Amino acid sequence: MAERRGRLVAGVVLLALLVGYAVVVPWAAGVDDRVTDFAAARQGPSPAHPFGTDSAGRDLFVRTAAGLRVSLLVAVVCAVLSTVLGALVGALSAAAGGWADRLVMRLVDGVNAVPHLLLGIVLVALYRGSLVAIIASIALTHWTQVARIVRAEVLSLRDREHVDAAVLAGAGRWWVTRRHLLPAVLPQALVAATLLLPHAVWHESTLSFLGLGLPPHRASLGTLLEEARSSLLLGGWWTLVFPALGLVLATLAVAAVGSALRDRAALPRRAVVEL
Amino acid sequence: MAARRLLLALPVLLGVSVAVFAAAAASPFDPLAGYLGDRYLTAGQEVQDRIAGELGTDRAWWVQYGWWLGELLTGDLGTSRSYAQPVAQVVAERLPWTLLLVGVALALAVVLALLLGTWSAHRRGGWVDRLVTPVCLLVQAVPPFVVALGAVSVFGLALGWLPVAGLTDAGAELSAGQVARHLVLPAAVLAVSQLPWLLLNVRESLLRALAEDHVVAARARGLSERTVVLRHALPTALLPFVTLVGARLPELVVGAVLVEEVFSWPGLAQAVVTSAVEVDFPLLAFLTLLTTAAVLLGSLLADVAYVLLDPRVSADG
Amino acid sequence: MSTALAVSGLTVRFELPRRGSRVHAATDVSFDLRRGRVLALVGESGCGKSVLASALLRLLPGNATVTGRALLGELDLLAAPGRVLRGEVRGRRVALVPQSAATALTPVRTARAQLEETVRELVPGADPRGRADELAHRVGLQPGDLDRYPHQLSGGMAQRVVVALALAGDPEVVLADEPTAGLDRPLVDRTLGLLREVADGGRAVLLITHDLGALLRTPAAADDLAVMYAGRLLETGPAREVLAAPAHDYTRDLLGALPSGGLVPVPGAPPSLTDLPDGCAYHRRRPDAGPCDGGDVVHRSGDRATRCRPAGAGPC
Repeated sequence: MAERRGRLVAGVVLLALLVGYAVVVPWAAGVDDRVTDFAAARQGPSPAHPFGTDSAGRDLFVRTAAGLRVSLLVAVVCAVLSTVLGALVGALSAAAGGWADRLVMRLVDGVNAVPHLLLGIVLVALYRGSLVAIIASIALTHWTQVARIVRAEVLSLRDREHVDAAVLAGAGRWWVTRRHLLPAVLPQALVAATLLLPHAVWHESTLSFLGLGLPPHRASLGTLLEEARSSLLLGGWWTLVFPALGLVLATLAVAAVGSALRDRAALPRRAVVEL
Repeated sequence: MAARRLLLALPVLLGVSVAVFAAAAASPFDPLAGYLGDRYLTAGQEVQDRIAGELGTDRAWWVQYGWWLGELLTGDLGTSRSYAQPVAQVVAERLPWTLLLVGVALALAVVLALLLGTWSAHRRGGWVDRLVTPVCLLVQAVPPFVVALGAVSVFGLALGWLPVAGLTDAGAELSAGQVARHLVLPAAVLAVSQLPWLLLNVRESLLRALAEDHVVAARARGLSERTVVLRHALPTALLPFVTLVGARLPELVVGAVLVEEVFSWPGLAQAVVTSAVEVDFPLLAFLTLLTTAAVLLGSLLADVAYVLLDPRVSADG
Repeated sequence: MSTALAVSGLTVRFELPRRGSRVHAATDVSFDLRRGRVLALVGESGCGKSVLASALLRLLPGNATVTGRALLGELDLLAAPGRVLRGEVRGRRVALVPQSAATALTPVRTARAQLEETVRELVPGADPRGRADELAHRVGLQPGDLDRYPHQLSGGMAQRVVVALALAGDPEVVLADEPTAGLDRPLVDRTLGLLREVADGGRAVLLITHDLGALLRTPAAADDLAVMYAGRLLETGPAREVLAAPAHDYTRDLLGALPSGGLVPVPGAPPSLTDLPDGCAYHRRRPDAGPCDGGDVVHRSGDRATRCRPAGAGPC
């Protein structure tokens, strides 16, 4: 219990620091991504540039913050979209039942069988440089887990007594859904969305790293690390270390929050089973 | 289970290929531009229309899909523009290198996971065990391409121990020694990126198995610790592990894509990235299909292995 | 009739993580296991019987503390180093027939593989295959039965396999932990017969069971009887005598709960062993049964012993 709370607090604090850094620094610096200063290119960390500069002379302290901001934003949008999509599919599938339900579950199996990144690569290759395509490619491949969770939740709820009682009392389908299903499904979906976040951060940065995501001048953790590839060969270790650190810390923070929330959501359920 | 997977494979493969074609048709990408390259801008509308008619790109996408599928079934995979080679040749040249890389990395990861996982579960609370979990969680949070870049800068650039790119040194003959030296870093990185999951899983299921009746009974019988762990706890703990390895294949593919890209390893995964960057549609479509088939085959093999390993399943048919 | 294992003052406590609670699993348990004899240890479920077998082989989890003595010849099992337990005692001198035979076998290996492996490790130099077949014969199995996987064995066959496994190292003492639980009546009788044969072969057998009815049905199954309640032995003595004329109220109530005794259920329920107070737990459950002297004193007369003064023998 204390361990879970510690994890939650540490995750939230770290996440808050990262978000603060990602929001405040680029805003305060007010630099345009496209402005370059080749005279200041590839400088190591110094008081003027704590994270050093990249091959175009841009300050990496600012760019890492901007990259983190874009990556987190994309990840949040993706996580929300895939959760909504998954929750809808899962709930409808469970509500419909029968062959429609079986068909949807086979579809889930099918989507799971395909490497997610591969689908992402294909989509993004066809719609080059489009943020919508990046988000769609992530959302369209990550909804299956949520769909499964929500479907299981709805199915188990439907068998419980108070829902039967409500239906017997003449409650409408929509009323039952709103009154009983939503409150039970929402926490699960929220946890699933949080756990999706690190995946989405990774996915976006991976696509950008492969040169398929955002255009190189748009800072994201992926494009920064893409650039680090060539700077590394010239000894620019800082171009790898700081963006990578941002990526790893963001992943750890979100994962900590997500797993703490998941454990908390799981606890009351377990208590019910024990009764 | 295995039969169900086999039944699922065909619709999945069809679905994936249809989806790729539909997405291509809906995308702003013009296959004619890909075909003509620079000439696209200089060719007049009339020429464009004529070539589109010859290639059939003016037809609806499902018609084109039908042609593609027909050619695929007769063994004609089309021509890759980015490699200026038939797709079949690209695959034939590159597949062995990918299989080598993935095979070595997977074997390395599985062996390490078994050794470390068994050790840390058996010596629960020992220093190895206390180190394993946090390190695994940390490595899990680091994307494979960051691991790869880190390995390049440390072992390749700073220490200068190992080559960081390609199959051989520049201009060197292709030889087993050269390939082995160049294989070390990519295979190690790929193995490390897969290790945490496998390791934590082995540890977890072995801990569960060590508390089970049959293991306690084996210990009560006076068998040596070695026999108890290796012959009684591990065999039952490994059953779920086999399926896990199968289920992790998509992750392995993702890891291979990144590792091959960073280390310029001339395998198929790198060709996926190249064909995507160049929108080399015939190659991209076929590689997507091939990878999906490989992943499906992998989980099928894992299921078959499970059935072979667990007498309870095979008895039930 | 020499003593093979002399247990005295055996006490087992489990520390619980929460609130510093302790489980009083066994308290001041003393008995002798003698060669050629079966001692049946009976009691209701949850009275701490099964803990005894695990405690003697030192198979309890880390939160258990065990005090007392268990002398196997010169060796005190409760004080011996783990290395001695592993390499010299378990399977070789003291064997366990575990509870629920079906789950005690490793599911992915045949009975033969496990039996031959045990023979190889415990009896170096023996021919594993020949000895496995011989053990199978001794417990009433066909050699072919050994080639099955555990899930292909019937309950009775699995029971025989675990007995064969226990006999593989030719032990002096066999601890059978609820070997009849979950078996139907003919199988119970056959298993008891099997353990009788084991004892007749010169071994000392501890038969832990909650099935007093089976002992009544087959009087030959047990030579001695010990009745356990809330972690304590309330009554011990020759089985025939104790069953014919129980000295303790609890033994009487247990017999009364059997079909032959009139099916009068034992009133109340067994107490929780967590933070059990000292004193006679049974007379707290049945204050109406009569006066008692507190239960911490053991009264002996000849072969028999009881923990509180027999009811009606005078006020406390």
